[in-house]
Amino acid sequence: MTAPGPAPRAKTTPEGMNALLLRVAGDADRDAFNALFLFFAPRIKSYLMKIGAAADLADDLAQEAMLRVWRRAKLFDPAKASASTWIFTIARNLRIDAARRAAKPDLDPNEPALLPDHEPEPDQLIDRSSRDEKIRAAFSALPPAQYEVVKLHFIDDLAHSEIAERLSLPLGTVKSRLRLAFEKIRKELGDCVE
Amino acid sequence: MTALSEIRHHPKPLTLAAYAAGNLDEARAVVIATHVSLCAACRLAARDYESIGAACLEAVDPVAMNASALDSFWARAGKQERAMAPASAIAANDFALDAAHPLASYLKDGLDAIEWRPVAPGLAQVVIPAEGYRPGVLRLLKVSPGVQIPRHTHGDEELTLILRGSYTDEVGDFARGDLADLDGEVLHAPLAVGDEPCICLIATSAPLRFRTIFGRLVQPFIGL
Repeated sequence: MTAPGPAPRAKTTPEGMNALLLRVAGDADRDAFNALFLFFAPRIKSYLMKIGAAADLADDLAQEAMLRVWRRAKLFDPAKASASTWIFTIARNLRIDAARRAAKPDLDPNEPALLPDHEPEPDQLIDRSSRDEKIRAAFSALPPAQYEVVKLHFIDDLAHSEIAERLSLPLGTVKSRLRLAFEKIRKELGDCVE
Repeated sequence: MTALSEIRHHPKPLTLAAYAAGNLDEARAVVIATHVSLCAACRLAARDYESIGAACLEAVDPVAMNASALDSFWARAGKQERAMAPASAIAANDFALDAAHPLASYLKDGLDAIEWRPVAPGLAQVVIPAEGYRPGVLRLLKVSPGVQIPRHTHGDEELTLILRGSYTDEVGDFARGDLADLDGEVLHAPLAVGDEPCICLIATSAPLRFRTIFGRLVQPFIGL
């Protein structure tokens, strides 16, 4: 296998990703899964290396994350989350689990996951795919300073005070940049901003 | 209207975002997860923040997987059963707090089986082990009706989720499902009201700082 590049652009839309994951769920379609693997595994590996996992461990954990995607694909419901968001939550929970194991190696392996998938969804009819497409577009359009703090928070796993330290900014500036970023994204969704 | 619509106090946007980012300490994550499991509005908002996380993940510079990764993946995958679709989902309006999923995993026998440790008249607590890789303190506090917690601040953010009963303080009136997301400067003296004890799930990162003589006396007993 050569180093995977991004999957074809058409596949990386929320709807394209959903279609792939639904093929995995319904037909155990390995070609569809391979396309998801080629796109997400190198990004999840990168995500795990941001918190200090060595390359080989990150590779192994990225495979583990994709294994959860494969095994749980039948639980995927596009009405609740887009494929990309669902896979992000799997990678995030695996990262939390991995960090806990690193901190407490004797932890009971049967202990329930810290952040279980949300059980009940609101009985609101929301088109998650188009909502996620708007979120992604609004995120990409953020001013660089806001884009940077959002990425440091979600990907580099830095708390507000750690972002402030990293960028040599006052804590208040970091918080206001995050707030402005989230308000901008919510505006694009047509939600009223508090 | 359903019980869910009665929730009036919610986490701040930055708290919910940090939860979705996986950046909260374990104690706070449990409190937010429990609120989110009860609050449809916050469930939607949390999912939006998770979608921001997904957008971030898609934008990450990829790191090439090992050459044999896909082969070894399928070797692993072949040995494992795939999950079946869930037989049933918890009803969306289930407001049985004992069954709230995130907390249930920490309180296996529910709220009624807790062995409370009395700390002062009308006040009892129990500390729940939830010390993840980020330090935090998770506890349940039970306050009898008419009892007031001494005026205090926290020095850092405190999250309080009401599981039973209700209380009132300088911030407002809090009942089941309500979450008080207080920053370090807020000075408050919650008073339990109503007919039943108020049971709160509280996450803090720093010891509470009491500001009254009674508070300074009671603090060592409470161990808050």
